[in-house]
Amino acid sequence: MSKKMFLVITVLVAMLALFISPAIAQEDRWDGADDLEVNPLECGMAGMEMDATAEADMMATEEMDAEMAATEEAMATEEMDGEMMGGYDGGQAVNAPDLAGQPITLVDVPKLVGIGYFNATSLGMQQAAEELGNVTVTTDAPTEANIDEQITFIDNYITQGVNGILFAANDPVAIAPVLRRALEQGIHVVGYDANSEPDAREWFVNQAEFNGIAKSMIDSLVAEKGEDASFGIVTSTFTTPNQARWIAEMWAYASQCYPELTWLETVEAQEDAVLSFNQATTLLNKYAGDIDGLFGMTSVATPSSADAVTQAGLCGEVAVVGLATPNAMKPYVNDGCVQSVVLWNPIDLGYAAVYVMRAVVDGELTPESTSVMAGRLGELQVVNGSEILLGAPFIFNAENINDFDF
Amino acid sequence: MTALSSPESNIGARVRAFLLSQESILLLIMLAAVLILSTQNSRFLTVDNLLGQGRFLAEIGLIALPMTFIIITGGIDLSVGSIFGLTAVLLGYFWRNLGVPLEFAVVLAIACGTFAGFVNGLFIVRVGISPLIMTLATLALYRGLASGISQGRSVSNYPEWFYQMGQGNFAGVPTQLWILLIAAIISGIVLTRTTFGRTLYAIGNNELATRFSGLPVNRVKLLIYTFSGFMSALAGYVFVSRVTTTRSDMGTGLELDVIAAVVVGGTSIFGGRGSILGTMIGVVLIQLLKNGLALTGVTGDSTIVVIGIVLIVAVLVNDFIQSRRGV
Repeated sequence: MSKKMFLVITVLVAMLALFISPAIAQEDRWDGADDLEVNPLECGMAGMEMDATAEADMMATEEMDAEMAATEEAMATEEMDGEMMGGYDGGQAVNAPDLAGQPITLVDVPKLVGIGYFNATSLGMQQAAEELGNVTVTTDAPTEANIDEQITFIDNYITQGVNGILFAANDPVAIAPVLRRALEQGIHVVGYDANSEPDAREWFVNQAEFNGIAKSMIDSLVAEKGEDASFGIVTSTFTTPNQARWIAEMWAYASQCYPELTWLETVEAQEDAVLSFNQATTLLNKYAGDIDGLFGMTSVATPSSADAVTQAGLCGEVAVVGLATPNAMKPYVNDGCVQSVVLWNPIDLGYAAVYVMRAVVDGELTPESTSVMAGRLGELQVVNGSEILLGAPFIFNAENINDFDF
Repeated sequence: MTALSSPESNIGARVRAFLLSQESILLLIMLAAVLILSTQNSRFLTVDNLLGQGRFLAEIGLIALPMTFIIITGGIDLSVGSIFGLTAVLLGYFWRNLGVPLEFAVVLAIACGTFAGFVNGLFIVRVGISPLIMTLATLALYRGLASGISQGRSVSNYPEWFYQMGQGNFAGVPTQLWILLIAAIISGIVLTRTTFGRTLYAIGNNELATRFSGLPVNRVKLLIYTFSGFMSALAGYVFVSRVTTTRSDMGTGLELDVIAAVVVGGTSIFGGRGSILGTMIGVVLIQLLKNGLALTGVTGDSTIVVIGIVLIVAVLVNDFIQSRRGV
């Protein structure tokens, strides 16, 4: 018996060693970041304006291109330009019925239902549908952010027969086959919030470019705590695409602009309030005295981190910067514990997604388009081939946060 | 039935026994559900939709087979979802990071998953840890290994042939459905027609008595937990092939779906009772309910409420039949 026990334990230890050894190997990448290409913006606090200028420049180039396209001689150049800039890389619905101006039925499948963020996108969609008058949109998704269930939901709606699918992907690759199936059945597909592989959908409404958010986050922390601050990160999971992208861009931007910053640790907290609170508290205790800031990477992690800092009596000593919805952050911003909350407006995001879908169905948004009209948001630009940019990130602070209610 | 009764009444009794059995009542419930759902949406009862649903239920079905064996012995395996995720991650890791040819990576990953099940069995049998505690521990342990190995990265871009298992068809039916069918038939025969199968029921009814009868209780238990590891790993492979990527959080919560299907299928959570046919009906019933309700416009949160109610009803029906048999 004891020999067998010994054997069992040996086997287990060997297995652990085998499995953990690759995990220990360090790499030049911060925990929770992905390994895609990074594209950090230029340094400096005046970033938002610069970003906007860059966009304006790009717009001008594109307008020039469009004018050039009018002359036939310029066609070849236009095509080359298109390829150099990436060109349209989305998919196309096959033999979609012509429903220009007709009533359409859409389904919206976010990552999950029942959280404030997707309630807000859903609200924006209803606003757009009401304005347009010829769009019906229903939101339905799993109650947990589960890739398999999301696929099943979309599959069911394909079978049920809708005119268009709006989605926010739990996994960019896993969701692709079922979206391609929708395109093959002539159903229009537009993503928002979290992208899929580009050819599995027609357009993606990008709420804010990753490098823009990353810059706003790092700049906000540096403004509060200086260029040599130490900080921890509370994220959802290391695999969640948006969070991983932001962290990678933050790492790239900080390495380039603020090399003195000390990156302590990234912790995973799903999108769970209790877990986020516990993880943030653990970070505060583990690095007591050495930690100057916490980044919350999800709309759940940020208020929980602020709560953890408040309860630990560290307001002012430890800054909390993060992505969150204003309502969740009002108490902390109003009592001065949190100075900046970075986000875009999720209501506008859902609103834009419906307008984009309507424009696709009406044939107004085609692979050649460089912009699209989106109701009260005005003209939105096409970026990165087949994405539509909602705008620059928005920073909520004590002066403006009370003007928002979502 | 005694030897005196005539062949006719013998058959009659068998028919009556079958009609009163768990499986036939479940079948009736399922038929009723299908009928009602098909009147609600014309796209529900179509070959395309049903075969598509077959693709979705295959993974749960595959794991439900060993789970039926285990629950019949009065045990439980909570680590199946984690073994499923670990296998998926290892498959990608062996292929992408270690450069193992994909064919071998699949075999190797399934072997590791089987070993993970074997470790469960070893501790349960040799150390005497209760299955609930042991597999609860490995539920966390294997999931942790999966996230550690994957480093949060997913592996995709597999060659075209790899998707045959999860997305392809054989003779017009999804490939994985054939595998499930073959595995279910073999499991059914093993459970009802072999000493091994009878031993499972014996363990579930009275483990001590079974030991004293000289039956190889330990070996049988070790085998079923290993089998559970193997089937979870196989299902993990099928899933990776279906969704074309690996992630360390794959299969989270899968164990509860599997156990629900087995219990709806009439297997007693206290052991000693259950069948493969029942389990398969349970798997199909839950999937069709989810699909049918979604097609009729019931939203996701209401669907899981209905599934919960079905679980309770199924258990009540079980108890009812049990008490009637008792009389």
